[in-house]
Amino acid sequence: MSETLFIQHFNDESRPLDYYLGKMNGYQASKKAFGMQKDDIIAEVKKSNLRGRGGAGFPTGMKWGFIPKQSAKPKYLVCNADESEPGTFKDRDLMRFTPHLLIEGMLIAGYAIDAHIGYIYIRGEYTREAKLLTAAIDEAYAKGYLGKNIQGSGFDFDLTVHRGAGAYICGEETGLLNSLEGKRGEPRVKPPFPAQAGAFGGPTIVNNVETLTAIPFIINQGGDWFSKLGKIEKSGGTRLFCVSGHVKRPGLYELPAGGVTLRELIYDHCHGILGDKKLKAVIPGGSSAPVLTPDEIDVIVDIEPLMKVGSMLGSAGIMVVSEDYCMVKLIQRITKFYAHESCGQCTPCREGCKWMEDILHRIEHGHGRENDLALLLDIADNINGKTLCALGDAAAGPVMSFVKKFRADFEEHIRGGKCPNA
Amino acid sequence: MPKCVIDGREVEFTAGTNLIEVARHAGIKIPYFCYHPGLTVVAQCRMCAVEIEKMPKLQTACSTPATEGMVVHTNSERVIKQQKATMEFLLNNHPLDCPICDKSGECDLQDFSFNYGDANTRYTEERRTYIDLDMGPVIKKNMNRCIHCTRCIRFGDEIAKIHEMVAVQRGNNTEITTIDGRPLETDYAGNYADVCPTGSLTLKDFRFKKRAWYLRKTPTVCEGCSKGCNMELHQEGNVIYRSIPRDNMEINKYWLCDEGRFNYQYVNRKDRVKTPMAGANATVWASAVDQARTTLAGKKLTVLVGSDLTQEEAKLLLDFIPKNFAGANMFHFGTPGIKSSADDAPADALLKRKSKTGNLNGLEKLGFKGFDTLPAGTDAVLVIRGGRATLPDLKAVKTVVGMGVFQAKQAAQFAATLPGTSFAEKDGTILNYENREQKIKRSIHPVGESKPLSEILMMWTNLKLQPKRESASLSLAPAGGMA
Repeated sequence: MSETLFIQHFNDESRPLDYYLGKMNGYQASKKAFGMQKDDIIAEVKKSNLRGRGGAGFPTGMKWGFIPKQSAKPKYLVCNADESEPGTFKDRDLMRFTPHLLIEGMLIAGYAIDAHIGYIYIRGEYTREAKLLTAAIDEAYAKGYLGKNIQGSGFDFDLTVHRGAGAYICGEETGLLNSLEGKRGEPRVKPPFPAQAGAFGGPTIVNNVETLTAIPFIINQGGDWFSKLGKIEKSGGTRLFCVSGHVKRPGLYELPAGGVTLRELIYDHCHGILGDKKLKAVIPGGSSAPVLTPDEIDVIVDIEPLMKVGSMLGSAGIMVVSEDYCMVKLIQRITKFYAHESCGQCTPCREGCKWMEDILHRIEHGHGRENDLALLLDIADNINGKTLCALGDAAAGPVMSFVKKFRADFEEHIRGGKCPNA
Repeated sequence: MPKCVIDGREVEFTAGTNLIEVARHAGIKIPYFCYHPGLTVVAQCRMCAVEIEKMPKLQTACSTPATEGMVVHTNSERVIKQQKATMEFLLNNHPLDCPICDKSGECDLQDFSFNYGDANTRYTEERRTYIDLDMGPVIKKNMNRCIHCTRCIRFGDEIAKIHEMVAVQRGNNTEITTIDGRPLETDYAGNYADVCPTGSLTLKDFRFKKRAWYLRKTPTVCEGCSKGCNMELHQEGNVIYRSIPRDNMEINKYWLCDEGRFNYQYVNRKDRVKTPMAGANATVWASAVDQARTTLAGKKLTVLVGSDLTQEEAKLLLDFIPKNFAGANMFHFGTPGIKSSADDAPADALLKRKSKTGNLNGLEKLGFKGFDTLPAGTDAVLVIRGGRATLPDLKAVKTVVGMGVFQAKQAAQFAATLPGTSFAEKDGTILNYENREQKIKRSIHPVGESKPLSEILMMWTNLKLQPKRESASLSLAPAGGMA
């Protein structure tokens, strides 16, 4: 695609407000939105087929529709900028280069759901982005794009950047809300969902950065236009793919939603595998997505096609693995991450993730046993779908897919008594 | 009423009730660790997972309210597998040393392991261990036994209203502890041991004194203040080992304060006067009664009645005193500064009240007036007391006779002491601050030579001295139905 919504602006010149106003139709969408009925804005977003870019892929317009019209407690809009799924690095660039796009997206979303307070919960490690965002917010306040009676509309909206302290679980929306409230970053029991009772008990919408930055485009050019950017049904707009691992040109790629297969992405856009080696595996949606083998890569990289092959698009963090990398070591490292990031609230995740990590560590270091694989699969099954939040699934899914699809690699470790790649 | 189906049985329920309670009402037990009916629902332990038709995933019964027409299975294949898995996860890092654990015999983890767990373990990795800091005088912590249910944290935050129990670290390393490892501050700390489903938090007062299965349990009422919290006394071999709260939604719910919980300790204490005393000397009952009678004969008497006595005892005195001491003044006493129920008020936001005796309202209802100062001309005082009422200062009085439960220090000044029974050794009725009548139940036999008040009064009336004999061989008259 020659023209992109985001990536064409990914340079340092595009950050200031002047650029946003001059080159990106800045703050026109919010002006237009203030003249629209709130329900019409939500209808437009529904029409756009914009689906949440944080990982779950929930239709954004529908989510906004869940916010009750009347509420005794204030409503809140929260931007999930925790971007902590390994292999994902798209929100960082959006915040770094187009902060005003995010601010305007939040302004419109806040207006649509009648929230007057917005928070950007940004991961603690993004110190530079937090500073840039804060500076952009100050700019917007100074020019009357935030604060009281924005652009003469009578609408008030305050926006604050809140930095996380380095926990993966604070990317889970209710864990994020707890953290935002100053509590331990532990997910809450659902229901109630945030749209009913979220931040400080008020109805709350939590949207990903990329989701919110799409909103100004939808308002400016219409839901239908945005929807048609997508090449398959029920998925509109463009997508930012974060490709990392053993490809010749790793990086961020913006392509129409549903417009590319994994093979095209790896071999055409990223110019193939490093050193022209063979492909061993692809993790298509951040490290929590079940792994795919080389004969599964003709799948279209989007929410539903990937779901059909038993994986997921997640946050579109695509990790490519070449033939000479040890799959056992990889899954051990991934599992170690989830065990480390488990909040420790619920039994299967707290106990099971560490158990899986220990077993994988043993196998990788040559102390595996014949029954370890069956045990791993059973532990993963006992975690999968049985935990309080999705972290358990995120840890169990990869383990199950690795053991099932690369069983020979594991058996080689166990029988050989050492890692053949070491 | 709406209905749902649990394990094939149609069950009625009140809207909003969760599946654990709906099932419990129908006699179907769903196991759980983190759920507690008095605390918020966190759905963390996952033990109560059940299968609900039309829902793809297992649902935690604690966090799922029953709805009309819901079809629930609590023992399907999937549920049983999940229960086994949860037990396995919980026991991976739990010491398997029930024989030396004080919780053994009344441990949810142990019980559910038998009922829902697997006999074998597949865990071969290194076990997680913790180092514990002292948590103050009430609770002993053993973090290695903890299953992270967070009931203690929630009890502190939500009930005791003190944020002192916290989780630190995270994931597999999560440790439940006090902030900065400080000792517990709440005066409701005993409840931490009650809510703990494992041997992680135990009472220092009780641990390793008696195995749980030897204890005989008596439902009774706390005499520690005018609240009237319901409790159980646990005894074995006529020794009380502990008291625990007994659920009463209208009074104390599930809780008990430490003062009430440990109030029982005086019952078996060494310094309790358990033998009749003539002056400072232990003697036989007849001598002590005789001494008491002769000392008080002809004196201008004031009778002080502890508001820790039961209604039945107080009524006996209403009959006995005028008959035996014409013109004697009678007052109730119990808590300094609390002369009547009008002075009584909540002492904290949870349970405690200012009147530190259990039957202030009862005595008032029977017409007793609160004690202020001794009437002019009083030259003798008869004090009748359970074990709880605070003795007024009687130094100015030459002759004092005690009837009931006293410590040796108190009785040292008395002309005679006739040892009576505490709340643990008698049946009776007490009225709490809202005039709610409640029964206290006898848990143990009167300790030592103590006797119930009724017997002491009968002896007082019927004891006849046989002349020409030494006082040590005084005997009781057969009349009067004495045991």
